[in-house]
This record gives sequence, C-alpha cells and structure tokens, in this order.
Amino acid sequence: MVIYILRRLLALVPVVLIMSIVVFLIIYLIPGDPARVMLGDGADESTIQELRQQMGLNYPLLEQYGRWIGNAVQGDLGRSFFLQQPVSTAIREHLAPTLSLALFAQFIAVLIAIPLGVRAAVNRGGLADKTLNAYSLLGISVPGFLLSLFFVLVFAVRLKWFPVSGYAPLHEGLGSFLKFMFLPALSIGIVMSSLTARIVKASMLEVLHEGFVKTALSKGLRQNTIIYKHVLRNALIPILTVVGGSFGTLVAGAAVIETIFNIPGLGQMLVHAVERRDYAVIQGMVLFIAIVYVAVNLAVDLLYAVVDPRIRLQ
Amino acid sequence: MTDSTVQEGKQQARRTSLIHSQPVRRFMANRTAVIGGVLMLLLIAASLLSPWLARFEPQAVDVVSRLKPPSVKHWFGTDNLGRDVFSRTLNGTKISIQVGLTVALVSSAAGLVIGLYSAYYRRLDQVLMRIMDGIFAFPAVLLAMAMMAALGPNVSNLMICLSIVFTPAVARIVRSSALVVKEQTYIEAMRALGASRTRILWLHIMPGTLSPLIVQGSFVFAESIIVEAALSFLGAGIPAPMPSLGNLLSEGKQFIYNSWWMTLYPGFALILSVLAMNWFGDGLRDMLDPHARTKRKRSRKGSMNKNTSDNNNEKVSSATQASS
Amino acid sequence: MASENLLEIKALQTYFHTEAGKVSAVDGVSLAVGAGEIVGIVGESGCGKSVTAQSILRLLDEKSQASYSGEVYFEGVDLLKLSQRQMRGVRGNDISMIFQDPLSSLNPLLTIGEQITETIRSHRKFSRKNAWQEAVRLLRLTGIPAPERRVHEYPHQLSGGMRQRVMIAIALACEPKLLIADEPTTALDVTIQAQIMDLIAKLNRELGMSVLLITHDLGVVAEVCHRVAVMYAGQIVETADVATLFREPQHPYTIGLLQSIPSLDRDRTKPLQAVEGFVPALHQLPKGCRFAPRCPHADALCRTEMPLLESKGSSGSQARCWHSEALSQKEAVRHA
Repeated sequence: MVIYILRRLLALVPVVLIMSIVVFLIIYLIPGDPARVMLGDGADESTIQELRQQMGLNYPLLEQYGRWIGNAVQGDLGRSFFLQQPVSTAIREHLAPTLSLALFAQFIAVLIAIPLGVRAAVNRGGLADKTLNAYSLLGISVPGFLLSLFFVLVFAVRLKWFPVSGYAPLHEGLGSFLKFMFLPALSIGIVMSSLTARIVKASMLEVLHEGFVKTALSKGLRQNTIIYKHVLRNALIPILTVVGGSFGTLVAGAAVIETIFNIPGLGQMLVHAVERRDYAVIQGMVLFIAIVYVAVNLAVDLLYAVVDPRIRLQ
Repeated sequence: MTDSTVQEGKQQARRTSLIHSQPVRRFMANRTAVIGGVLMLLLIAASLLSPWLARFEPQAVDVVSRLKPPSVKHWFGTDNLGRDVFSRTLNGTKISIQVGLTVALVSSAAGLVIGLYSAYYRRLDQVLMRIMDGIFAFPAVLLAMAMMAALGPNVSNLMICLSIVFTPAVARIVRSSALVVKEQTYIEAMRALGASRTRILWLHIMPGTLSPLIVQGSFVFAESIIVEAALSFLGAGIPAPMPSLGNLLSEGKQFIYNSWWMTLYPGFALILSVLAMNWFGDGLRDMLDPHARTKRKRSRKGSMNKNTSDNNNEKVSSATQASS
Repeated sequence: MASENLLEIKALQTYFHTEAGKVSAVDGVSLAVGAGEIVGIVGESGCGKSVTAQSILRLLDEKSQASYSGEVYFEGVDLLKLSQRQMRGVRGNDISMIFQDPLSSLNPLLTIGEQITETIRSHRKFSRKNAWQEAVRLLRLTGIPAPERRVHEYPHQLSGGMRQRVMIAIALACEPKLLIADEPTTALDVTIQAQIMDLIAKLNRELGMSVLLITHDLGVVAEVCHRVAVMYAGQIVETADVATLFREPQHPYTIGLLQSIPSLDRDRTKPLQAVEGFVPALHQLPKGCRFAPRCPHADALCRTEMPLLESKGSSGSQARCWHSEALSQKEAVRHA
C-alpha cells in the first residue's frame, strides 16, 4: 500500500516538473522586458529596476527557475506588485468562492451523470440512452459560459427566479449561498455531467458482461442491488479517473463563469491580473491549478485503493 | 516472404486511408456527419459572403438606432453603438472559423511530427511525451490565457497559443496509432529490407495515423472555437473592437437586462459552429475508426452479445478537456 | 410420471434477436430432472447447452436479446410464465447455478462473506450476524479450510479451486432443490477438477440435491451422472441413462464423441478420432439433419428431412437419427 502510494507519487513528478517549467517560462513569452511591459511606458528607470529585482529577472535563467521553484515548494509564489501582497495570500483569499463553486458543480454533475449513465447502459437504445446521446452532444458543443449566459437570460432576467449576479459565502447561510451559486454551478455541472455520463455508461457497459453480474442475477438479487452494488461499484475506477482528471478543468471553468456572475474568486482575480499584466499572480495561479491537478490525481489514486481490494491488499 | 508481406501491408495501410470509397459511402450514410458537414459549409459560405449578405458594415456605428430589437432592417437587432448584430455575428463566425481552422491545421501538423517521431525513437519519446503530458495536464483555457497575457492580445498570438495548447492531444493520438502500425509485420519487413527510417516513418507509418489525426483535428477545430470565444469573452483573446463571437457575447453581457438579442444570436452562432464540427468529427470517426468498423462487422455476423462492442463508440476525445 | 420430476423442460425454444434476424439457439429441447438425480448435458461449445441452462433461470436479457417459448416446469410451475419478481424468488433459492470461471463469476470488490450472505439475506430472514455464521458453515461444508478467516477475504486471495468451492457455497446458501452447474471444472486444473466433481456428487448424495451438469467432458458424465442428454446445434440428438449411452450409443455424433475420449484400454495403434468439422452457425443451419454435413453416414434423406427424437433400442434411449438402428447393430458387431 505504501509502495503503491510512493509509486503513484513518483509517477506524478515528471508531470509536475514539466508543468512548473511551462508556468515559469510563460513570462519569457513577453516580448521585451517583462518589468517594463508590466509598468507601462511612463515608468521611470528606478521603479523598473526595483521590479526587476523583485521578480529576480537579473539572475541567470536556471537560477531564476531554481529560486522560483524553491520558493514555490515552500508555499511562496512571489509577490504581486499591484495587489501589494504575496500571491499565496491573494490566492487563499479568493479560493473559497471558486472551490465551493467547483465542488457544487461537481456535485450537480455527478447527480445527473450517474443515474443517466447507469440507465443508458442498462437499457440500451431506451429513453435514457437517447437522452444521453443528445445531451452529450449538447455538453460538448455548448461552452459553460455561454450556457450560463442563457440561464441568466431566462432564469434571472426573464423569470427573476435567481439574482443576475453576486455571491454569498456558505458560512452566511445555505439559502443565500444556493440562491447565488445555483445558476453558475448548474451551467458548469451540466457541461461536466455530459462527459461524466458518457464515461459512466461506457464503464457500466464494460462491467455488465462480467461473469459476476450473471452470478448476481442467478442469486436472485434485485435489479437495483445488482446495478448499484455490483456493477456500478466495479465501474467506478474509470469514472473516478474522469471525475478527478476533470477537476482542474472544472476549477478553470469556474474561473470563467465567475466573471459572469461577479463572484469574487480566483477567476476574477486572474482576469484582473491579465488586464494589469500582473505576471506574478498569473504564474502563481496557473501553478496553483497545476498543484490542484496533482493533488486531485493523487486523491483519486488513493480512492482506487479504497474501492478495489486488489490494489489495497497488494 | 518479405515482398508479399510488404505489399499486403501497404494495402492494409491504404485501406485505412481517406480515399477508399467504402468509408466515403459510409460517411454519406451517416446522417449527422452529412448534416454537420453541410452546416459547416453553409457557415463558411455565409461568413465569406457576409459583405453581400449583411446590409451593414460590422463596425458601422449608428448612434440614433442603438439597442434596437430585431427588425426587418436589422435582423438580429443593433448593439449599444447601433452596430448591426447580424453583420457582426457573421463576422464573428468568420473569425471563429479562421481561428479554428488555423489552430486545427497547425496543431495537427505539429502533433503529427511529434507523435510520429515519439513513436519511432524511444529516447525522444521520453522527452517529447513528458513535455506533452505536462502541457496536456493544464486546463486549456487557463494555459492559453496565461500565455496570451504574456504575448499580448491579438489574433495571431491567439492562434499560436491555442496551437500550443492543443498539440499534445493530437500528438498523443498520433503516437498511439503510430505505435500500432509500427508493430505490424510489414514495417518489420521494410526495416529488414533496409528502407531508410525517414522513408518508413513518412511513407509507411504516417498513412496509418491519418484517420485518427483527421478526426482529432476536427475536434480540435470545435474546441478551439470554444476556447477562443471564452478568452475573448474574458478580454484575453481577440482585442475588443474586432467583432469576434467572444467579444460580442462580452458586450451582450453588459446589456443582458434589456437587449437579449445581443447575447442570444452570437451565442447560437457559436453553438452552431461547434455543433457542426462535432457532428462532422463524429461522422468522420464512425467512418474511419477501426473500432467502429469491427463493431459493424461483428454485428453483421449476428453476434449474441450486442453490447460488447459499443463501448468504443463513446466519444472520449481528449480534446474535450477544455469545456470552459 | 411428470409429477415425479423436479424439473421438466418441454419443447423449449430460446431465440436470440440479432441483426441477422431471429435465431433459435435452443430448438425444441425437452428434458427432465428427477428429485435427487444428476443429469448431464454434453456437447461441443456453441451447441446450446449453456443457453439451455441459462434459459431455465431466465438469465438472458429478455429486454433486448432473447425470448423463450415452450414450458419449463419446476415443481409443477412453469417458470417461463412467472413475473420477474417471482422469478427472483426462484433464483438462488430453489434453483442455484455455478459457472465455468469462478474468478470472473465472483465480484472482485466484495468479500467472500458478503457474497454469500447477500444471497441468504435476500431470500431468508436472517440477521446479519446469523447470516455470517451460516456463511462460515457453508464454507466448511464445501471443504474450505479455516472458513472463519476466509469469509473476510476477497476472491483474488483464493486459488481457483477455492473460488469454485466458494461459488458452490453461494449456490448452497438457500438449500436449493436443483443445482445447475455450467462447466464447473473447465477452468480448473485436472486434480482440482476431480475434487470439485467429488464435492458436487457428495452434495447430491448427502443433501438430496438434484444436479443439472453442463459439460463437454464425457468422462465427467460417466463418473457422476445418472442420465445424460447429448446436444448438437440447439437440439438434443440423443438421451439415455449413462450406462446405456456408453454401451449402446445411437447417434453418430455421440459415437463420434465417444471415440474421441482417450482411455487406457483402447487400441493404441489406432489414432484417436475427433469429430471432423465445426458446429454450424445458428443462422445457416442445414435443412435436414443438422449433423448431416459432418456425419460419415449421411445420405440424401438426412440432407433433406430432419429426423425426430425417437425411442431406439431396448434400453429406453432416444435418438434423433434416421439410421441409428443400422448403425448401432454395426457398432455392436464391431465391439463383439
């Protein structure tokens, strides 16, 4: 088990390394001097030099990366010149809305995807299967931000069921949280669920021909017991992989949606940073998402072990 | 032995290539694919003919008739500066298709080269595919946005960024199908006959990877339209006055309370473009995908287990990671 | 007579709905299993013996794939007329089934104990604790050492033979009157095969449980079965009690199968004979006798008219052959 975890960790190292290098190099895509670009044309030389110093631009490339990654490992993602605060602090302050939105959306996605995918697999060619086919095409073709614009148009502007935008943190009460978060979470959740439902269906179909399903049937178990206790459980590993693997995308999707609903999360912070060319924040954010990706992947690997005794007991 | 093996293998490779007539027939029989293709052609035609179809310049400001709902004069209404939304939507579609097509072509070309060489040279594989995996792990919108922030917002930078973002998806597909072709006997035979590596790679392995490449390319096309729109919507894509779909939606959002047409019509144009490409890609895959073919063969035999084969039918395209 | 039989299958047809059309994988099979009896069904793979077995418990997907006609009486009740809910009460309770590959037949994610107790608890009102005790008892009954420990283990921690014992324990959970064993030893090592067959024979003797044994192995049939039916291309081509079948086989296919068994006392100068050719595909069955294309004795009649399953000889065996009388005389002469 320990060996299993270590091996999984080790497998993630090259990906993380490459991701960090990509993030680091982004700043070198800037044509010309990053400090000068950030501060604009009117900046005086000493301010530029100060920023260069702060960004560590005066060191050789490799050393810059070393310093940067060294600091990042210790949780120091640099300092935002515009926010006048450490990037890690800024991320922490904006994390809660994005994370709660992403989790809420994931919840909605799973809530739709599992029953839909299961029914589609169990009853091939039936209503659920046909719905899934149309639904998954919709999911790939309608981006979440557009869906949320439509939702705002219908449910907020026309029907006035929900506020057009805004945010209330969860600790101020579930009701107001839901009121603000439902539309954004639903738009992401729907897009997400179409992918997940397809995986659920494919994975269920694979398991449905396994011998133990016939055994379960021959034992006289109820259909729902067979489907949920025996089949779905065995189909869970690919489903977990997709759900986990899409979490980074989910957070990024949440970031886009935030700007529509004026939710003060990471997405809004990122958009402002892009406008201001606040590279420290941009780099920090992207690296943070990379870390989230790795963490979720690891969590999924651990969940495999929970689900499957063959992994747990190896 | 070798000569006939090579001959046979070549035929096999040719069979998987595009020009074979049976796939084309199957494509025509595939209704959604044809609808997708026709829809795409219509959209391209409409956007190319926009100077003649629309009576207004996309940028022509008319302050008197601002925020007017759809009418005979302005089919899709007018925006906050009195510009014709129909003309702007057509223009936006044109830009989207341009971006999508360019990105699909560039990332397919780059992905093809990287995928092929990774499949053939093990050492190169270690380096290239690790890099591809690293890039692939980022959410597409996020990475593109960060790069755009550095490069500065304009159309060509956007195309560069999106091409970088989508190359890994293509490279992975090409590599895995090239690995399959590489293991076939006729490639072994070619090598034994002393054919040069470049020749084997481009003349014999490459054709076998074309089908998945084209399918993946069409999905990249659809996906990059979405990401372009998302980036422009966030102000990190195509700069503002230019009427891209993302920009139109961003403007529409500001007036969403009163002027629904500013959001609805560009939104539909976006969905239509993406839908058309996805349908088209689905059809292509059904026509070219070897799994889909074995499925057909198996069911013709009258297999008892109908559901065994259908799993491959599920589109788990790796380009769909960017569902922003 | 009919009332004495535990299971009585009458003119069973099992259809598969394929894209090539409706084909019958089981075509007019009639068969009876008496109380305490072990009946074998033998045949090559694809002859419809497994489908027959699964049709009894209606395990095939009736929504999209399969449909049945005919009658399957179990204790006088036609199983084919039962609702899905009533059918559930029969499965695992009155009739149990074990399958060919014990590894894939067991759920890899659940402990042995869970898989036994869920059967018990779905048919009997047992507390969780009592069900687990019962599971341990059943494991001990099937000869698994240290059953108290094994109940908490997962299938992948057991050997092939142990897994099949677990399958049998699951099948025994509700003391069924009939056990259907579908090639229970095919996936196992030879030594283990014998142990499992001994176990099944022992359970039949001690618990009085009837067994319907599906196999391709006539050797196994000779050892444990009382009666046997030979199937070919969805039909029964010969049925007899075991001794009669081995002594006076009536159908050329049975004769072919018997000649393909290696045995110690056979003439080793002659090569071992296999039945030439393959079982025909279901949607391209020959017009007359289905075995005719492979039969060394087939003539014009065989190729145009399908023979019926009729009583042959003096020992009550039935065969589906135009020429069986002539053949068995020849066979008798050869043996003499």
